[in-house]
Amino acid sequence: MPSEGGERIAVLQGTLDLIVLRTLESMGPQHAYAIATRLQQVSEDLLHLNQGTLYPALVRLEQQSRIKGTWGKTESNREAKFYAITKTGVKALAEETVRWRRMSGLVEKLLSEGA
Amino acid sequence: MRRFLARFASLFRGRRAEGEMAREIASHLALLQEDFERRGLSPQEAALAARRAYGGVELAKELHREARSFVWIEQLYKDVGYAWRNLLRNPGFTVLAAVALALGIGANATIFGIYNAVALKQLPVADTGRVVRVKRGTRYFSVNTFAYPEYEYLRDHNGVFAGVTASSTAIPVLASIAGRGAPEHVNGYAVSANYFADLGVPASLGRTFLPDEDLALGANTVAVLSYRFWLRRYDGDPNVVGQTIKLNGMAYTIVGVAPREFTGTAVFPVETSLWVPLSMIGQLNPAFGPGWRVEWRDSTNHGLGFELLARLKKGVSRTKAQAETDQLIRTFLAGHRETFSTIGVTLQRTSWSGEADNPWFQAFAAAVLTIVSLVLLVACANVANMLLARGVARHREIAIRLALGGSRARVIRQLLTESILLSLLGGAAGIVLSVWASRLVWTSLISIAQNFRSFQADLDLSPDAHILLYGLALSVLTGIVFGLAPALQSTRADLHTAIHQEGLPLGRRLGRSRLRGLLLGAQVAVSVLLLVVSGGLMSGLMVSFVKSSDLGFETRDTWRLNVYSPKGAMETLGRIRARLEARPELSRVAIGGAPLVEVLNIQMEAGKWEGQTPASFASDGYFEALDIRLLRGRGFTRQESDGGAPVAVVSQSTAGRVWPNEDPIGRHFTVPGAPLKVKDYEVVGVVTDTRFVAISQIDPLHVYLPNGALPRMLGGVVFRIRGDRGKALEAVESAVESVDPSLLPGMILFSFEAGPVAVQRGFFRVLAVFAGVLTLLSLTLAGVGIYGVMAFLVSQRTREIGIRMAMGATSGEVLRSVVIQGLRPVLVGTLVGLAMAIRVVTLARADGFAKALNLFSRASFDPALFGALSLMLAIAVLASAIPARRAASVDPVVALRHE
Repeated sequence: MPSEGGERIAVLQGTLDLIVLRTLESMGPQHAYAIATRLQQVSEDLLHLNQGTLYPALVRLEQQSRIKGTWGKTESNREAKFYAITKTGVKALAEETVRWRRMSGLVEKLLSEGA
Repeated sequence: MRRFLARFASLFRGRRAEGEMAREIASHLALLQEDFERRGLSPQEAALAARRAYGGVELAKELHREARSFVWIEQLYKDVGYAWRNLLRNPGFTVLAAVALALGIGANATIFGIYNAVALKQLPVADTGRVVRVKRGTRYFSVNTFAYPEYEYLRDHNGVFAGVTASSTAIPVLASIAGRGAPEHVNGYAVSANYFADLGVPASLGRTFLPDEDLALGANTVAVLSYRFWLRRYDGDPNVVGQTIKLNGMAYTIVGVAPREFTGTAVFPVETSLWVPLSMIGQLNPAFGPGWRVEWRDSTNHGLGFELLARLKKGVSRTKAQAETDQLIRTFLAGHRETFSTIGVTLQRTSWSGEADNPWFQAFAAAVLTIVSLVLLVACANVANMLLARGVARHREIAIRLALGGSRARVIRQLLTESILLSLLGGAAGIVLSVWASRLVWTSLISIAQNFRSFQADLDLSPDAHILLYGLALSVLTGIVFGLAPALQSTRADLHTAIHQEGLPLGRRLGRSRLRGLLLGAQVAVSVLLLVVSGGLMSGLMVSFVKSSDLGFETRDTWRLNVYSPKGAMETLGRIRARLEARPELSRVAIGGAPLVEVLNIQMEAGKWEGQTPASFASDGYFEALDIRLLRGRGFTRQESDGGAPVAVVSQSTAGRVWPNEDPIGRHFTVPGAPLKVKDYEVVGVVTDTRFVAISQIDPLHVYLPNGALPRMLGGVVFRIRGDRGKALEAVESAVESVDPSLLPGMILFSFEAGPVAVQRGFFRVLAVFAGVLTLLSLTLAGVGIYGVMAFLVSQRTREIGIRMAMGATSGEVLRSVVIQGLRPVLVGTLVGLAMAIRVVTLARADGFAKALNLFSRASFDPALFGALSLMLAIAVLASAIPARRAASVDPVVALRHE
């Protein structure tokens, strides 16, 4: 089993979808590997995930029609499935973002009050 | 929702999705590897690093699949396929287990099938849930009959029913059809004109009654035939509508034929042949006489009431309707004096038997179901044991699956799927078996009752949703019950030891063998319980059969005649008797009750002695007619019999019990609480003992009282016939006709031999067969179970046996040790089972039904019991000796190599 590094953050249930959508929105169509690499970069390696665990999120989002996958070629001429965010996805992202902000604001408020 | 559909669709695109997934993962890995190579790793190192970074490929696939689709359905599908292959791989085990389960489930489904048809299935009427039976309760009993004015009052004043219908109780009718053979005694019902319409029963041919077809008394000469009668007497002739049928000599026009499934609605489900409008009841049954529509008659007192069925209005609950009905009937009855006052009126569902909610019936059904559930339990223990044994053999396979990443829950689920599949196989076979068996049981039950001419009843035993659901639920439950323990056991594995070495540490093996021993012991205990109880029952019945050839009274050529005349029965019978006495074909004519049928239980007190005793009612000449010998004193005179004089004759045993060492003649006893005119009786005679209550035992007590002691006549004319039976019976009919021709249709004539005696013999025979089947079942199951487990245990010990033999043990010693090991749980189980059985038998003997009929033979330890037990032990020894012999004959070298 890979190490379960103590300082690394486990992905909060449900937030992975949000992150993936956001990544696709800002970067345009990407394949799974690129998404995973990007996540790691942005989080400065704080966020750790087995790259394989990305797939359930991708499948889920595709079934919800929030993203769409098409097979294409990478710069190095390898075949890969490129995921792009759909209109439904953009709308969902906006809603989810608002919800997330509210939620994190609330949590933040509760935590600081408690201190 | 969209996701749901996508997941669902993905169920059917499994292969394509799998391919896509593999492709995507491969590309992901390739990209990763490329990246690592760019960072300067060698291709091999890069490939490894990529795999590490990616994580478990198989795990990722599982996660992917789970997100993609309803994974449990896919898994279930796979599990079932796997389980099926596994079952096919061991056909011997599968067949053995499925047969055991089929017997267990089949026995349960058979009993449930009958219960379902009797108590759960509703009358075949439209929207049956809204149709109710009206029932009257008194302090002492409950009846379903109401007087016509009560019906009318309820029908016209209620606000809760969409319709209230009335039907007479079964009326014996003499039906003759021109050109189609001799007249025939059949049962008919007079019903209100709205009967078919409000119950929603359409005619299968022609029409049913018109709304105003029951208004003019004696003028609606129309009849609706039952489907079966139509088939039987008219060969299903479609032109029957419009033809004429004579009922009690009066011509009726056939207007229609009822549907096949509709056989009547009576609480006591006597099969019916035809229906006529209510206005014709006076013609069918003269006892009704004029004025039955307007006069209120106490319907609990005579057989002259009507059974009411009502259809609830939409939106009205049964509770609300019941409250209103109760109120209405009580209001109506306020001005009338009843013999037994009505204390409440209830509404009931319309099951085949009106007694379905009777607590006694429920208790009886529960008792029978419990007994057959024990059989199923034995079967379960059996199969569990075999599975447990197999679980050990499959240890390696299971351990490998666990090591490859199958979660324990997943493996348990897989094993349970296997056991449930097995029990479903057994269940399906069991249901098929039960359809056939319940018909057999019902046929034999009804063949007993059919000895009485008028009783024919049909029961719809075809399996319905109830039965299938019951079978399914029982199968799944069974599968879990017998599969869970073995599944838990065999997945609790130490992977390392399991994979590397088959032989388990001694301690672990002990733990498992303890569970197996417990199961084996429990199974033997229940088998012994069943064996002793059913064996005891059977031997008791056998003994009764042998002894019951002499009943203490004459049955051959002794006949009983009764006529349907609720008013002045005593006087009518007297007149018939006078005519019969004049006939040379008959002899020894008397009036009295039929043995085994018309016997009352009364409370008796004589000095210090008090208790319950059966009592029969007799006239002069009764003892001579039945060949019961007078030992002391005298019998009754005609005057005493007719007038109900305070005199009594007692049986020999009664005299010995109540007045030991005393002369009973001239002694007195009282009958407090009995419904008799006179409470104090003087003994005038003593007669020989008889079996008047049950053919299985001599009545320990019996008193005979004069007919006149009863407020209402119980019994009929008894006589012996001489010479040709046909001629004698013709003479009887003409004698009855000469008294009153209207009595002929309702005449009931039977010989003691073919009537009550045959009924009881038949009852005991069915009981004996039931007991025999149970005995056989429990023996078979016990044998199969012990053999299966022993064979397995020995195969597990082959290595150990090899070592012992190599060390110099003789095959005899090995044999002995194996058999002894196998027999220990058997012996313990036998003792426990025996203790339970003795308790049950003692209880049954001490109380109620079983005691009254002397079902268990008197001797506590009769030979049959020992026979059954030794048979059980012999089977156990044999079942463990066969595998033991096989083990002992093994070459030590081979045994040691045995994995």
